[in-house]
Amino acid sequence: MSNKVAIIASNGGLFDAYKVFNIATAAAASEKEVAIFFTFEGLNLIHKQGMHGLEMPAGKEHFAVGFANSGVPSIPQLVEMAQELGVKFIACQMTMDVMGLTKADLVEDIEVGGAVTFLEFAKDAAPTLTF
Amino acid sequence: MVKSDVQLDAKGLACPMPIVKTKKAMNEVAEGQVLEIQATDKGSVADLAAWSKTVGHQYIGSHEENGVFYHYIRKCNPEVSEAVEKTFEHTISNEEALNGKGLILDVREAAEYTFGHIPGAKSIPMGELAERLTELNKDETIYVICRTGTRSDLAAKQLAEEGFNNIYNVLPGMTGYEGELQKEVE
Repeated sequence: MSNKVAIIASNGGLFDAYKVFNIATAAAASEKEVAIFFTFEGLNLIHKQGMHGLEMPAGKEHFAVGFANSGVPSIPQLVEMAQELGVKFIACQMTMDVMGLTKADLVEDIEVGGAVTFLEFAKDAAPTLTF
Repeated sequence: MVKSDVQLDAKGLACPMPIVKTKKAMNEVAEGQVLEIQATDKGSVADLAAWSKTVGHQYIGSHEENGVFYHYIRKCNPEVSEAVEKTFEHTISNEEALNGKGLILDVREAAEYTFGHIPGAKSIPMGELAERLTELNKDETIYVICRTGTRSDLAAKQLAEEGFNNIYNVLPGMTGYEGELQKEVE
C-alpha cells in the first residue's frame, strides 16, 4: 500500500482551499507523506495576502454564517498546521511566471518546481487528488 | 465514567481538527495506554475509528453524553505486539474456558472491559495485577483472557510466579469471542 498522497490544487476559491487543506492535514495526521502542487489559481491558497481573503463562489455567500458557527479553522491556520504536520508545498514555476509572482509572495518553506517535480513525487502515490 | 490514561478536549472543533489533535496527543500516550477524546464533531465517530485502523491503534469504542462524544483509543505498536511469542504453557481455548468452572479474569484495560466483556468476567488490568492479587484465590482455577493472548500470557506467568496453581491462558482471546457481550456503557 502506498504511503503517499499527492494533491493538485488548481482553483483559488475558499471552498477549494478547504477541500485541499482538510484532505491534506487529515492524510498527514494519518501518517501519510503528502505533497500539494499549487498551480494556476491554486497559488491563491498559499499567497501571503491572498489566502486571508479567499472568496466563496458567487451566490454562495450565505455559507459564511455556517463557517462562523461550525468551528472550522481559518485557511491560514490550516496552512500552518499542514506545514507543521510535514505537508510539502510545491508551487508551479510556470504559473508563477505567468501571474507575475515570486517566491516572496508565497508562504515560507515551499518548494518551487515544474510539473516533473510533482510527477516524481506522485508516481507511486495513491491516491492522487485534483481540486 | 470510562477509565483512561490521557484525556484530550477537542470539543467545538470541526474536521479535520479532532484528528490532527488526536495524532498530536497520541505522542504523549505510552504504548498500551488509553486516550480519551472528547469531541462535538459528529464526523469524529466514523473518522476516529478509521484513523485508528489506518495508523494501527485499537479503537475501543465511543459513547455520547449531552452532545459530547467520548472516544477511547488504545495505543498499539502493530509491528511488535502481534509478533510476540506466547510462552505460558497452560493454554485453553475460548470454548473450554467458557464452559469451565473457573473464574474468567480479563486483564485488558478498564476501558476495553467497559465496552464489552464476557458476562461474569472479572476485570483487573494487567498493570494493576501485582497490587490486586489479594482479590484472587490461589487455589481457584483462573482463565486469563485479553484481546489477542499476549497480555494474558504475561499475566498468567506473573500469577504462576506468585504461587497460583491453576492458571490458564485463554487463546485466541476476545478477538475470537462471538458470544454475548456485557457492556457498562450505552
